[in-house]
Amino acid sequence: MTAGTPAGTSKPPAPARDGPSRLATALLILPAGLWYLFLLVLPLAIVVLFSFGERGETGGYAGGFTFTNYDGAFRNASPFVTSLYLSVAGTLLCLLVGLPLAYFIATRAGKRKTLLIILLVIPFWTSFLIRTYSWLILLGRDGLAGWFVDVTGNDSFRILGTDFAVLLGLVYGYLPLMVFPLYVTLERMDRTLVEASKDLGAGRLATFRQITLPIALPGLITGSILVFIPMMGEYVIPQILGYGQTFTIGNALVLRFLEFRDWPAGSAQAVGLIFVMFVTISFYLWFTNRGRQVREQSVL
Amino acid sequence: MADQRPGDVLRGIGEARVSRRGFLAASGFTAMSAYLAACGGSGGNAPALFIYNWADYIAPDNQTKFKEQFNISDENFTYDTYASNEELFAKLQGGATGQYDICCPTAEWTPAMVKEGFLEKIDWSKIPNAKYINPQFKGLWWDPKDEYQLPKDWGTTGISMRTNVVTEDIKTWKDFFEVAPKYSGRIVVVDSPGDVFTAPLKSLGYSLNSVDPGELEEARAILMDFAPHVLALNSDTYEEPMKTEEAVLGLTWTGGIDEMLGDPQYADSTKYQIPEDGTLFWMDTWTILKGAPHLDMAHNFLNFIHDPENQAVETEVNYYATPNEEAKKHIDPEILNNPIVFVPQDVQDSGLLEAAKDVSLDENRQRIWEEFKSSIGG
Repeated sequence: MTAGTPAGTSKPPAPARDGPSRLATALLILPAGLWYLFLLVLPLAIVVLFSFGERGETGGYAGGFTFTNYDGAFRNASPFVTSLYLSVAGTLLCLLVGLPLAYFIATRAGKRKTLLIILLVIPFWTSFLIRTYSWLILLGRDGLAGWFVDVTGNDSFRILGTDFAVLLGLVYGYLPLMVFPLYVTLERMDRTLVEASKDLGAGRLATFRQITLPIALPGLITGSILVFIPMMGEYVIPQILGYGQTFTIGNALVLRFLEFRDWPAGSAQAVGLIFVMFVTISFYLWFTNRGRQVREQSVL
Repeated sequence: MADQRPGDVLRGIGEARVSRRGFLAASGFTAMSAYLAACGGSGGNAPALFIYNWADYIAPDNQTKFKEQFNISDENFTYDTYASNEELFAKLQGGATGQYDICCPTAEWTPAMVKEGFLEKIDWSKIPNAKYINPQFKGLWWDPKDEYQLPKDWGTTGISMRTNVVTEDIKTWKDFFEVAPKYSGRIVVVDSPGDVFTAPLKSLGYSLNSVDPGELEEARAILMDFAPHVLALNSDTYEEPMKTEEAVLGLTWTGGIDEMLGDPQYADSTKYQIPEDGTLFWMDTWTILKGAPHLDMAHNFLNFIHDPENQAVETEVNYYATPNEEAKKHIDPEILNNPIVFVPQDVQDSGLLEAAKDVSLDENRQRIWEEFKSSIGG
């Protein structure tokens, strides 16, 4: 259900809107508007502008107009592919872990619901970096990997510096962002629908597919997007747990801006990243929406 | 049915976002207090000094002593850190000048910093202790007239190994690349292109500063053969995987390795080799930033830190060679005679050490470095 009035309808202005309330509305919108303008629109415009410029003699940005940055940004597509693969895999894993967890908390946890939610949030009270570095100890030679080396005698066995370690870090770090939206949708689910479905003879699987999943879908979409977007730009986890072996688009951007001091090339790559995300998410939304429509038609 | 939109869901999890908002508030508060502290420092006439430096790069005892000597309160003494010259340069390029008094780039970066107008000329009349600097560190290519920098310390890039696992007698970069496949997946490398290019170029007998496309192509071939065997690129904590023997071979600096050599647990099985086919000589330098809010105090600090006794404390804490000749009289002989900290004069004279040039913006080097970086590991 969309909240508020639809923006497109241009009927006669509502008489109830007198001066002060309109002023109040404007004042209330102002901070968000300024935030949006100065911290999103303007920086983005600068990035796009820079992406067509040339690098200065000692680095940075030196004006000009050229397309060569885009040529260079896509010449090496492997960081895009790596990031896309990690994000898709990470999102799916988050979903695989998050959906049963959210379902359990929302429907089966009973009195312990609040406790479980708090337990889910508590790790977030600690710095993200500290949590990631903790995995370094847990998975390293003093932890799990060391145990495997002792048991198997294979001196070169390791967990850190593999895609597995990176995926583990990603799922660990972003799981709550998947669980909360799912929890909210599932918690509001009308349980009598499930009973009705079972009364009408649907099995567990059919009920899940026809009742629970469609109801959870908005949360699923929100959660997936919340998880997918930061994973695409993730730099810290691949760098720390992946030992820099997993070369993501985040690594490539840091390389361009900080090491090569080539702001235009970095900007072009950043615009490329935005483009890739835009395409991926549009496709995802189109796909899930289409699925929903088809299903609703088939139900009718 | 199911017409709840993602937007509603977001609203529904408002509670969960409290932590995010709390985070914003907290960071806003931190920024505000930093701003107020800065105002308090520069606005009033209270003595103050803002340093921008590598982490753990000034002996804590010297910091305390300096603050006492010049009557600087703790809140008026700032020590912020960066992890690489690239980061320092990017921050200054992003407009961080005017906030700090002193920073400490590696020497080959200073010409570009001068060109960008980041650095203030040093007033040598205020730094009498500069007379102790060994002339061999003066008038080098990066600052031919000694206008902008005071040498801090210097060192080499070389081969480190755990001799309990690595049994070969590795003397050169050539040896290093030859044994690399045997220790595949157990090699750590500093995340610094200038240092990494040194190895293949020197093993081929070229200058480590080469920008010749043909020579770089040969170096590329060696690097790409080497890349699959690398465990990690790590500049900050390369000694950690060496300690656990997760890595047993390294292309590293000396600081972290010295730490291991000073620890009885690792000392007997750790070795650092200056490659006999030549390697990089680097020097970190004290510089004063343009628009420094506390110009006089910055000069006071530079003079203070090169007081021979204070300088000896620096060397004993940081394990890097001092360019200050007089300070050597005060340094623990064990450190003074450690050939890793103070490279013996005959090695220095042999022409094995080559000073770095600023070739970081060369396109071929950048292309090869990215290719190397994205191919390490299996």
